[in-house]
Amino acid sequence: MGDVARSSPPDAVDPSSAEAEANQTVELGRRAVRLARFYHGKFETVPSVPVRSLEDFAVWYTPGIAAVSEEIRQEPELSFELTGRWNTIAIVTDGSRVLGLGDIGPEAAMPVMEGKALLFRTLGGVNAVPLPVAVGSAEELVETVMRLAPAFGGINLEDIASPKCFHVLEELARRLPIPVWHDDQLGTAAATVAGLLNALTLTDRALGEVRTVLLGAGAANLVTARLLVTLGHDPHRLTVVDHKGILDADREDLDELMLRNRWKYKLALQTLGGGRRGSLSDALVDADVLIAASTPDPNTVKPEMVRSMRARPIVFALANPVPEIWPATAREAGAAIVATGRGDFPNQVNNSLVFPAVFRGVLDARASRIPDEIVLAAAKELARHAAERGLTPEHILPTMEEREVFPFVAAAVATEAVRLGIARRKFSREEFLAQARERMSRPAALSKALTDAGLIHPMPDEPRE
Amino acid sequence: MTHPGTSAASSHGAEDRIRLRPARREDLPHLVPLLLRLKRLNEEFDPLLKVRTDAEARAQAVLEADLENPQSVLLAAEGSGADHGKLVGIVRATVRERPFYTPEKEGVILDIYLLPLYRRHGVGEYLLEETTRRLAERGAGIVTAEFPTQNEIAARFYAKRGFRPITALHARTL
Repeated sequence: MGDVARSSPPDAVDPSSAEAEANQTVELGRRAVRLARFYHGKFETVPSVPVRSLEDFAVWYTPGIAAVSEEIRQEPELSFELTGRWNTIAIVTDGSRVLGLGDIGPEAAMPVMEGKALLFRTLGGVNAVPLPVAVGSAEELVETVMRLAPAFGGINLEDIASPKCFHVLEELARRLPIPVWHDDQLGTAAATVAGLLNALTLTDRALGEVRTVLLGAGAANLVTARLLVTLGHDPHRLTVVDHKGILDADREDLDELMLRNRWKYKLALQTLGGGRRGSLSDALVDADVLIAASTPDPNTVKPEMVRSMRARPIVFALANPVPEIWPATAREAGAAIVATGRGDFPNQVNNSLVFPAVFRGVLDARASRIPDEIVLAAAKELARHAAERGLTPEHILPTMEEREVFPFVAAAVATEAVRLGIARRKFSREEFLAQARERMSRPAALSKALTDAGLIHPMPDEPRE
Repeated sequence: MTHPGTSAASSHGAEDRIRLRPARREDLPHLVPLLLRLKRLNEEFDPLLKVRTDAEARAQAVLEADLENPQSVLLAAEGSGADHGKLVGIVRATVRERPFYTPEKEGVILDIYLLPLYRRHGVGEYLLEETTRRLAERGAGIVTAEFPTQNEIAARFYAKRGFRPITALHARTL
């Protein structure tokens, strides 16, 4: 469930050694600090128009520019044509749940938001502005984003604590005429569903018949549950487990959830614990699928729990940086397919497969919002693409190396927006695909030109070629 | 007072889901946990409603006293269908004299609690109507409801059904 940049590189990982893991993370951290000191941030603003002399400012700025403003005043929609709004989004966070660091505040969240912006730019061709904001309540965050929205074509909410994030996304999606996305909810859920669809195909299962256990009731799994039910999963075969055990309708804390987390409350009443009572062990007996998005501890899911599942079970252990069970352990216990959030194991459930392409798609179609249909269209396109390359237990999702998938997902998203009647630009799938390809390839070309010209410095700690 | 339901639909159909009847002595072991759930919910709204450690024993005594008191209404909600006989809700109400005001007798709804699964579908409406009817039988000319000020769900539920605030209870600790 981690972004590509948050996972470890493929070498030097020994799953049996927690110490080696920790050492590697510390070393990557040191390098990140060194490079941050060297580069002083990851972005600068670069004009996309020629500026030959100050005379050009007579059109880029006053007096000429007043006529452009006048046009937009008469038709505000033109802000998407005559300014960079069409391709610019804000990455907004209150810093309340940043990575595994917790509530570290907006200033400390900035490096992470810059990194996210770099991913948006590199993979999606989207201009993303990192915007950590100092706010107190969920309402303040909503009001702040409402006021920022005129400058942006879309909003990406990032690293906001659950369940606050549900309220903020719901409110903004309802009130803003531009797409709003929260990656920890939608991106992770979309990648999870994509992988699961292929895992079900590979093990000859139908979504309408499986019994599924969701471990963890945070942002990602609450949305995964919603998407699975939309796709036809029987809610009474869905068991949600959190740190207090199975989420059933009789639990003592249900009234508290009604007040503080109505999304989880609703899910409890909808699933009724999947007919089960008790702990994770009780939930997993005869289950087909486990989707764990809980705590980074490899002993969370025990081998005997996997053995108690139905034959050839599907195990997604998505906690980062350490999965709830090591893939080798899960396979030894009989798991037919294992996915994690990490890039150094097969089947990485990675939201970076989703968010750059989703924004490319909704921006190109100028969609007014991102309903679940669009999230599912992205998931299905990802699944389709992996299947085209050939499904194996080690390949249920495209890898980050399969970059050609991004424009396809963008085109699928844009086409779905047109179908739903929420697109302000209606093109054919082929046209959206061509546009996405072009816009997604520009950042690499630009970056290469600047690096070749010596305007972007090579990494100071790497030997020059 | 929790929100027993927010559906504006008629209470017809609610009786298919639950049945409300006067509580009996043998119900008390099943009603005590429901009353405690309500009190713990109230605690969520205000620290001045912190539940005592001996609340369970006190709840038992309070419900026993209700059974003895002819002015009290103590009702048990029974599940239907697969849950037939299972107690899923409780209503406590009483009739008080109003020495200075008219109407002279006030029916007070003290506690209403339903397990989450049995809420909505007009069930709250049904509980309110049934309770009001029994209070009227005991001579009440006005019906009131007590619940934590911060419980906006309850406030909305009653407001929709013609209730409005008439007395405020303000508190500070000593």
